[in-house]
Amino acid sequence: MELNLSALCLKAMRDNPAALPGERFGMSGCRKELPSSEHLSVADATWLALNVVSGGGGFSSSQPIGVTKIAKSVIAPLADQNISVFMLSTYQTDFILVRERDLPFVMHTLAAEFTILRVVNGETVAADDFGVTNGFVKPKLVQRPVIHPLSSPSNMFCVTSLDPDTLPTVATLLMDVMFYSNGVKDSVVGNEDSGHIRFFSFSLIEGYISLVMDVQTQQRFPNNLLFTSASGELWKMVRIGGQPLGFDECGIVAQISEPLAAADIPAYYISTFKFDHALVPEENINGVVNALQVSQAEKH
Amino acid sequence: MSGSKPDILWAPHHVDRFVVCDSELSLYHIDSAVSSELKAGSLRLSEETTATLLSINSDTPYMKCVAWYPKYDPECLLAVGQANGRVVLTSLGQDHNSKSKDLIGKEFVPKHARQCNTLAWNPLDSNWLAAGLDKHRADFSVLIWDISSKYAPETAVATEKVRLSAGDAEAGLVVTKPLYELGQNDACLSLCWLPRDQKLLLAGMHRNLAIFDLRNTSQKIFVNTKAVQGVTVDPYFHDRVASFYEGQVAIWDLRKFEKPVLTLTEQPKPLTKVAWCPTRTGLLATLTRDSNIIRLYDMQHTPTPIGDETEPTIIERSVQPCENYIASFAWHPTSQNRMVVVTPNRTMSDFTVFERISLAWSPVTSLMWACGRHLYECTEEGKASSLEKDIATKMRLRALSRYGLDTEQVWRNHLLAGNEDPQLKSLWYTLHYILYFIVQYTEDMDQKLTGNKGPLVYTGIKSIVKSSLGTTENLRHSRSGSDRQADIIQYLSEERSLALQLCGWIKKGTDLDVEPFLNSLEQEGDWERAAAVALFNLDIRRAIQILNKGASSGKGDLNLNVVAMALSGYTDEKNSLWREMCSTLRLQLNNPYLCAMFAFLTSESGSYDGVLYENNVAVRDRVAFACKFLNDAQLNRFIEKLTNEMKEAGNLEGILLTGLTKDGVDLMESYVDRTGDVQTASYCMLQGSPSDVLKDERVQYWIENYRNLLDAWRFWHKRAEFDIHRSKLDPSSKPLAQVFVSCNFCGKSISYSCSAIPHQGRGFSQYGVSGSPTKSKVTSCPGCRKPLPRCALCLINMGTPVSSCPGGSKSDEKVDLSKDKKLAQFNNWFTWCHNCRHGGHAGHMLSWFRDHTECPVSACSCKCMQLDTTGNLVPAETVQA
Repeated sequence: MELNLSALCLKAMRDNPAALPGERFGMSGCRKELPSSEHLSVADATWLALNVVSGGGGFSSSQPIGVTKIAKSVIAPLADQNISVFMLSTYQTDFILVRERDLPFVMHTLAAEFTILRVVNGETVAADDFGVTNGFVKPKLVQRPVIHPLSSPSNMFCVTSLDPDTLPTVATLLMDVMFYSNGVKDSVVGNEDSGHIRFFSFSLIEGYISLVMDVQTQQRFPNNLLFTSASGELWKMVRIGGQPLGFDECGIVAQISEPLAAADIPAYYISTFKFDHALVPEENINGVVNALQVSQAEKH
Repeated sequence: MSGSKPDILWAPHHVDRFVVCDSELSLYHIDSAVSSELKAGSLRLSEETTATLLSINSDTPYMKCVAWYPKYDPECLLAVGQANGRVVLTSLGQDHNSKSKDLIGKEFVPKHARQCNTLAWNPLDSNWLAAGLDKHRADFSVLIWDISSKYAPETAVATEKVRLSAGDAEAGLVVTKPLYELGQNDACLSLCWLPRDQKLLLAGMHRNLAIFDLRNTSQKIFVNTKAVQGVTVDPYFHDRVASFYEGQVAIWDLRKFEKPVLTLTEQPKPLTKVAWCPTRTGLLATLTRDSNIIRLYDMQHTPTPIGDETEPTIIERSVQPCENYIASFAWHPTSQNRMVVVTPNRTMSDFTVFERISLAWSPVTSLMWACGRHLYECTEEGKASSLEKDIATKMRLRALSRYGLDTEQVWRNHLLAGNEDPQLKSLWYTLHYILYFIVQYTEDMDQKLTGNKGPLVYTGIKSIVKSSLGTTENLRHSRSGSDRQADIIQYLSEERSLALQLCGWIKKGTDLDVEPFLNSLEQEGDWERAAAVALFNLDIRRAIQILNKGASSGKGDLNLNVVAMALSGYTDEKNSLWREMCSTLRLQLNNPYLCAMFAFLTSESGSYDGVLYENNVAVRDRVAFACKFLNDAQLNRFIEKLTNEMKEAGNLEGILLTGLTKDGVDLMESYVDRTGDVQTASYCMLQGSPSDVLKDERVQYWIENYRNLLDAWRFWHKRAEFDIHRSKLDPSSKPLAQVFVSCNFCGKSISYSCSAIPHQGRGFSQYGVSGSPTKSKVTSCPGCRKPLPRCALCLINMGTPVSSCPGGSKSDEKVDLSKDKKLAQFNNWFTWCHNCRHGGHAGHMLSWFRDHTECPVSACSCKCMQLDTTGNLVPAETVQA
């Protein structure tokens, strides 16, 4: 297995009702692309994206997908080393963001199981060993109970993509969905209290588009335009966090992903500026919520 | 085929059909256009071809890639990869009863939709279709579909919830279960099956090239690289693969997959297509975006790319099939070097890449050139004689007839040269007289008959005459053998008679008798010349007699009698009618000698321009004449003038004047410049013996060139003969021994002592240890007395003459000895392989390798003879014989 690194920095728009009504969202992109602005609050670190690529022979079973797959090999070890991570699942793959200053620890932790490659101008080269060995303690195998409050909204989501060539045909729709629809919906459908969450994620990474939206939004797109799975699977969400989670706490992703991995349940996991979101198959949602609540109960 | 840019594909089995695909598929038929008229609805593709649109298929939107069913199919079955990852089989045929009817419309749907980047039919099992898809986090990107597989409704509907693809179930033509799934969590950008095995698939994945082996899908060979686009296998060299990334093409050898064996020069614009020519080995065509040229890389001359560290040579060139930018191109599957190109606005053009022409000119005038698969031999039409006149042809024939090698009768060499060139004749006579004089001279020296003109003969008449200036002048009035010769003055001196001798008129210094010369001319039937020489020696009677003889002889001209008659009427009265008539009518005589005769008779004493400048009279005769009748000043002037004329013209007759001096080399230089005859130049100058003529670099240059020429003609024996001849005349040219056989024990050359034995031949004595059959056994090192190595075949110590090998009876031995005497000397030579160091007697080795390829030493598998690049060549002389 290989791990690719690319530097990203994590930013977020400050919650600004006037400019961006309602919705918060995380953006990953290059720092230089956005002008600094008082409306933009930036997490105070440069984040590097790790991406697990199956170079060496791969996985025989295709079922446990997404975060589940890397829970044991990447997320748990990083949590054990108290490294804060930020997760971004897309239609195509999963990215694990770590702070640049943590990189030596990340590499040391993962070097045992992965070949770590650095992406330089599109070419993958072997990353140098940072040579940090001191300060590591053999991690204790600890139980990781779920700390933050969980909520499970009622709407169902699909994870999808589209042909970049067809992007222009849906550009206005995308803008509408992202920036202008929610205010209207707010008044009609109600709010989060009814168990409905407004969540729309658009990412464009290395030319690949990934979309996460609920079924209602998906129906606004033309037929056959969005890439979907043959089985037409749908996903339900578990939102993690009552208060904004911040960037320093570690182990949050591990708390969620480990029970899912244990139960072989595929999942997407999207961290945003404030909260984390896990997507699990709709038929598994009850089991997942129960399992996580059990874990949560262990805390007390 | 991104966006609206059209792609183009030739039908694999219908050689006259191709498909252009952009948003729809258009099938064209290609015709040869005999007339300049275009049929209605057809498009002109080239001067010879037009295309007609047969059908259009627009059933499949969002096309991303197309691949033509490789099996013969009248319906033009195509697989189309779509933007959502579905692969659809569609057809362009009209006949709906075909075999592949069941296949048309079949769809192969991946679990998770994403763009289908590439399709590849398995060349061995045409039911297998590989599709390369974009990345999905949990799905596979390389799917291999079995197009014959029945759709599986039980999996499709029963267990899974089909919500989004509900509409597709209609015809039951949807297949969702691939035969193989490969490349999880990765993107596949290009694919090709490896011809080595049905189950090997090469895929350009995201940032790596991977070889999947379907016999064991958990294993793959991969290499990290950016060059993952457009992987394609060389159809003629199954381990060679090309792939590209942006402007750079990488060539891989699958046997040494770690890094590209070479990368081609990077293009400023990104590449869009790279394709090996299917009809020509090692020819790769590449196309970049926004370009109207196709760049070709000819790897024809690449040695096997593995092993050597040397960068293989590639010949790069460009072709421009049309004016506009090219969107795509396709090689014709069978027609040599032919391709069609399509532009973004769908104009097409049919184009054949013209093969580079290679030309080879053999040393023996035949010319061959190769273009594509054709080999042409060029012959000059009509004038075969011009070839015969060519100096190279002449030199070759002369070399075969041993021209230049007759050292006994040097003049005969002109006969060996074909007896057709008067200049050569003159040259060889001059050389003959010079050498003859030298022989005489040395004899005289032995007998103490004095005379110190020996070295002078080499320097030519010019110097001889000069040396006579003023000092030894004898004048006397001729009394003449004839009746009325009164006031003709002849001059005589030692030098002048030496000159006459060199001209061939007289035999010995003091003896002025020209009779032997006249006789020899008569024998040759050269009547006019003989008569003229007789006359110039003031013997009119003899001249008339010769002319009469000539007229009566078989081949003689009857007019000679008339000339004799005219001659007999000679009168020395200044104003006679005879004189008047002769001086005017002589110009009408065709023969220069007859003309000169009358010029002599009618001329004033002391002014003989009519004779001296009669250019058709041989130089030697004019010079001899001048030596007889001109005074010193006149003679010197004349000789000087004539010499310069000769030098300028490169006339070999002038060697008589210049001798073998610097002047002679100058003359020879202009002769060689004029004719290219280095052969004559070499042989002639070699006669220049101890003088510095041979050291002249021009002479050495001619000699080396002639030797090279003989080598080029594979006249090795002739060259050896020449070298021997040369080393006789010029001992300094004898090459030093370059190879020695040294004793294994003491390290000394085993020929060291042999070289002291006088009968050992020159040059090669170091090889033939026992050159003489009489000295039968030299089987030990002369230095340390240890035995020499044994011949690998007869196991006898080297140095033993072959003819005394045991096996034959003693009586046979003697017969062999005499019969093969010459051969046996070579048979005894040492020979060994430079590679395995085994060897033995040359004769044994030769006969062994006549039937074997491997070394005679058991357990040695060295292919000695094949390593010897010249060993298998046959001298041209023996071929011709």
